[in-house]
Amino acid sequence: MEERTKRELDLTARLMSDMDPQLLEFLQTKINSFVKWDLVRFFHDNPHTADTLENIARYAGRSSEVVRHELKELVEDGVLEESQAGSMTIYSLTSDPHIRELLRRFIEASDDRQFRVKAIYHIVRGSRGNPRGARLKNHTNTDH
Amino acid sequence: MERVKTGIPGLDEMLHGGFLPQTANLVEGAPGTGKTTLGMQFIYHGIIACEEPGIILTFEEFPQQYYRDASNFGWDFQQMEREDKLRVVMSSPEVSKADLEHVGGRIERLIREIGARRILVDSISHFERLSNSRTSFRELAFSFINALKREGLTIVLTREQPALLGERISPENGLAFLVDSYILLRYVEIESTMHKALIVLKMRGSDHDKGIRQFEITSRGIEVRAPFEGREGIMSGSPRRMMDSFVQAFVRR
Repeated sequence: MEERTKRELDLTARLMSDMDPQLLEFLQTKINSFVKWDLVRFFHDNPHTADTLENIARYAGRSSEVVRHELKELVEDGVLEESQAGSMTIYSLTSDPHIRELLRRFIEASDDRQFRVKAIYHIVRGSRGNPRGARLKNHTNTDH
Repeated sequence: MERVKTGIPGLDEMLHGGFLPQTANLVEGAPGTGKTTLGMQFIYHGIIACEEPGIILTFEEFPQQYYRDASNFGWDFQQMEREDKLRVVMSSPEVSKADLEHVGGRIERLIREIGARRILVDSISHFERLSNSRTSFRELAFSFINALKREGLTIVLTREQPALLGERISPENGLAFLVDSYILLRYVEIESTMHKALIVLKMRGSDHDKGIRQFEITSRGIEVRAPFEGREGIMSGSPRRMMDSFVQAFVRR
């Protein structure tokens, strides 16, 4: 019985990984939470936005606490850039054309329901074994 | 004298050719009167007809909204961004102010990157929350406008007016004195129908049309039409026929 369940899980994992390998890697390594997904979509749709953590949280309809770590990690992963304006820390979309192109492809692919199902699977799955994903349980939003 | 054309039929005639270069031009009106449309048309015309790239600096509306609204008029702002002729920048007043004060800041870089000559700031009303007095708002706005002029831009600033009809209800905070031209958009009720009126209240360094003109937002953008004739009290929002006023004043005594 256990063997059968394992086989089914393997099959699911294989089916869910059936996507462009670059997008799969982008998803698993950079967009590994639903809040990040919301944030990168926002920056993709509004690419010349540059603002503080508090204002970006407001634009995304989230609290600063929820967004703070996600923004930091997106900066660490090269999706966003951090700069200073006076004493304020400002976040904006990276100018790296490779990442921008990956992001464009990811957002366009997200319009497809099947891709979204797979992406949600990887985000939920990634959150279990990933210390970065541990926060997921606190603000899961599968409305994607 | 060189002019910066808005491309809005009728308005350039009222401005005797357009705005003066590197000036700050205030467009004030109630919600829905067409302030943002006027500003977008100014930016669009600069790109299409004058080879003058532009920037839209928004403090509240998402850039997505501008792309969508512009496309309703047949203006492809996203394509213009891809061609490095336009940037729709979303930020907050405090960040924009700090950014412009900083040498080599983000906005300055964007301006130089695309060679921008025009900017729409939508809306300057958001600066009011950064100041707690008329004096500090005026200083803040003065410094912000000067920073944009320093970059060689001709500026359109929008300002929200909460009063739909009648006299303005928000107090003047000094901005009208700082800007080089001042255009007011108003709703006017005539025989149970809402019309829109436009007046150029001020234009520093140039003569201008003093008439109150009707305007409409068409599928091609704003079109300024003929003056309101035979009526008075247009800017009150509830004009009267001049004949009625005459009768009231002299006949029914």
